[in-house]
Amino acid sequence: MKRPLVILTVFYCLGIILAGWIRINFWIITAMASAVFTAATLWGRKNGVFLALVLFLALLIGCLNLRNSWVLSKCHIRKFVAYQDNSLYWMDGFIASQPEFKNNHLWFILRARQIQAEKLRYKCCGEVLVKMDFEQELNYGDNLTLMGNLGRPPGFGPSQGYRDFLARQGIYLIMPIQDYRQIIRQDKFSGVGLIRGCLWLCSYLEQVISRYLPALPASILSAMVLGQKRGIPWLVNNSMVKSGTVHILVVSGFNVGIVAFMVNLLLKILRFPRKARIILIAICLLIYCAITGATNPVIRATVMGLVFLAAHLLKREPDIYNSLVSAALFILVPNPRQLFDIGFQLSFISVLAIVYFYPKLKALARLEACRIKILKFIIEGCLVSFSAWMGTLVIIALNFRIISLVTVLANILIVPLATLITLCGFTLVLSGLIYPGLANLFSFPTAALITLLLNINAVLIKLPLAYIYF
Amino acid sequence: MFNFTPEERKVTLFLLGLALCGIVLSNLVKVNCRMAGVVYPQIQLARLNLNKVSLTELIKTKCVPVKLAERIIEYRNSHKEFGSLEELKEVKGIGDQRYEKLKELFFIE
Repeated sequence: MKRPLVILTVFYCLGIILAGWIRINFWIITAMASAVFTAATLWGRKNGVFLALVLFLALLIGCLNLRNSWVLSKCHIRKFVAYQDNSLYWMDGFIASQPEFKNNHLWFILRARQIQAEKLRYKCCGEVLVKMDFEQELNYGDNLTLMGNLGRPPGFGPSQGYRDFLARQGIYLIMPIQDYRQIIRQDKFSGVGLIRGCLWLCSYLEQVISRYLPALPASILSAMVLGQKRGIPWLVNNSMVKSGTVHILVVSGFNVGIVAFMVNLLLKILRFPRKARIILIAICLLIYCAITGATNPVIRATVMGLVFLAAHLLKREPDIYNSLVSAALFILVPNPRQLFDIGFQLSFISVLAIVYFYPKLKALARLEACRIKILKFIIEGCLVSFSAWMGTLVIIALNFRIISLVTVLANILIVPLATLITLCGFTLVLSGLIYPGLANLFSFPTAALITLLLNINAVLIKLPLAYIYF
Repeated sequence: MFNFTPEERKVTLFLLGLALCGIVLSNLVKVNCRMAGVVYPQIQLARLNLNKVSLTELIKTKCVPVKLAERIIEYRNSHKEFGSLEELKEVKGIGDQRYEKLKELFFIE
C-alpha cells in the first residue's frame, strides 16, 4: 500500500459518517472493535486479512469516537440546567474566546467552573455562549461571575443549523445578559497566557490596518490577512458568495505559506543555520495560527506546513496526501463532529480536488507544450479554479442552495488580485509596525487593489446567469 | 557589489514597485479628487442606496423578506423618498432590532 495513513483516515471518516447516520449502541461497537482487534492480533501474519481487519478497526474507532463525543461528562454545565427553565443561575468562569461585538450584542464564550442554582453550588465544566446587550471592555481570560437565565441557543430554520453548529463546538447553552448588574468582573486572570498574547497582537494588528485604510478596505484586509471577518458588510460577503470567491476572505494555506516565506527570508538574511530556521518557522506558524483564531482552514494549512517542515528537517520527500490527512486527523481525533462542519468539508475537499484533478487536467491540456508564459499562467489559473469548483460544487449547492456559474471566470480574475492584496497586506502590516511613514505609502496601492477587486466582483455577479438560487 | 538570491531579488522588486505605485497614487489623489473614487471603494459596493434601490434588486439581495421589501418601496413611493435612515422605523414590521441590522445595509445620498 502506497499511503497507508490516507486509507486509514478514509475508513476512520467513514466510521464517523456511519455513526452519524445509524444509531448503534456504544458498547455493541466496543465489543465489535475488541473482537476485530483480537482477530487482527491473532491472524496478523496473513497480509490481506490483517489489512481488512485493520481498516475495519479504523472504521469502528471512527464510530466509537463520534458516539463518545456525544456523551457529556457528569459535571458538564448542561446537566445542571433543565430546558424551558426560567430560574436564575449564578455562574463562575473565565472568557474562553475573544469577545466580539456583532449585531449590537457582545458575544463571547465563557468556560464555566461553578454554577449556583437556588443556593446550591456545584463545580462544573463546559462552555456557555454569552450574549450581552451592551458594550463592555472584556478580554480573553477575564474571570467573571454572571447571573441570568440559561437556555438552548436558537435554531434558525427547520434544519436547526445554528444550534447544530454550536453543538459541534461543544456549546449547548446560551446566557443573555441585559443589565450591568448581572455581571461581576474579578481581578484575577485565567486562560493561557500565550493565547492572550496572540489575541492582543491580533487586535493590535487590526488597529494598524484600520489606521492606514478606510473602513471597507480595512475590513477586507483584516479578513484576508488576520482572518477577522466581523467587519465585512453583509452585501460584500453575499456578493462574494454569489461569485464563488468568498474563500479569499478566509486565511488559508497561501497566507501560511507567505508567513513561512517571510520568516525564512529574514532568518536567511540573519545567517541562521538550516535546522534553527525550520524550528523558528514552525513556531511562527503556530503563533500565526493562534492569531487568526485557529479555525479549521488555518489549522489544516498550519498542520500541512508543519508536516512539510518536518519532512525537510528529516530530509524526506514531503507527500501532500499524507500531510492533508495528518491535518484532518489532527482536527477529527479530538472533535470528530467537525467532519459535519461545512468549513471543514470545503477546506479539505477543495485542496483534495486541486491536488487530484489539477495534474490530470494539466496533462490533458498539454500545458508543457505551451511556450507563451502568460498564456500558460492564465490556463494554469483556470485549471486550479476549475478543479476546486468541481470538488466543492455539490457541497455548496446542497448547503447554500446556489450554483455559481461565473465562479471559474471570477476566480481567474479575482484570485491573482487577492494574492497581490494579501502580499500588500502583509507588507502594510509589517511596515506599519516598523516604519509608519512607509506604511502610509503602501496603503494606496493596497486600497486601489481592493477597490478593483470589489468592482470586478460587482460586475461579474451582474452578468446574466452568473448564479442560480434553487 | 550586491549578491541577491532570486528570492531576495523578487522581494526587493516587489517592495520598490509597491512604493512606486504608492507615490504615484498618492500624487494622483492629491491632484485630482476624483481619483479618490478609484483608489478607495465607493459606498455603493457595500450598501444599497435606499432612495434608488428597486424592488427587484432588494428582493434579489435576499437581505429582507419579500413582504417587507414591498413595504419599504411602498413607503418610499408614498413619501417621495427617505429623509434619513431612522425613517425606516416607520415602515410596518421594522422594530429597533431589525433597524439596527438594516442600517448597516443601506445608505442615503
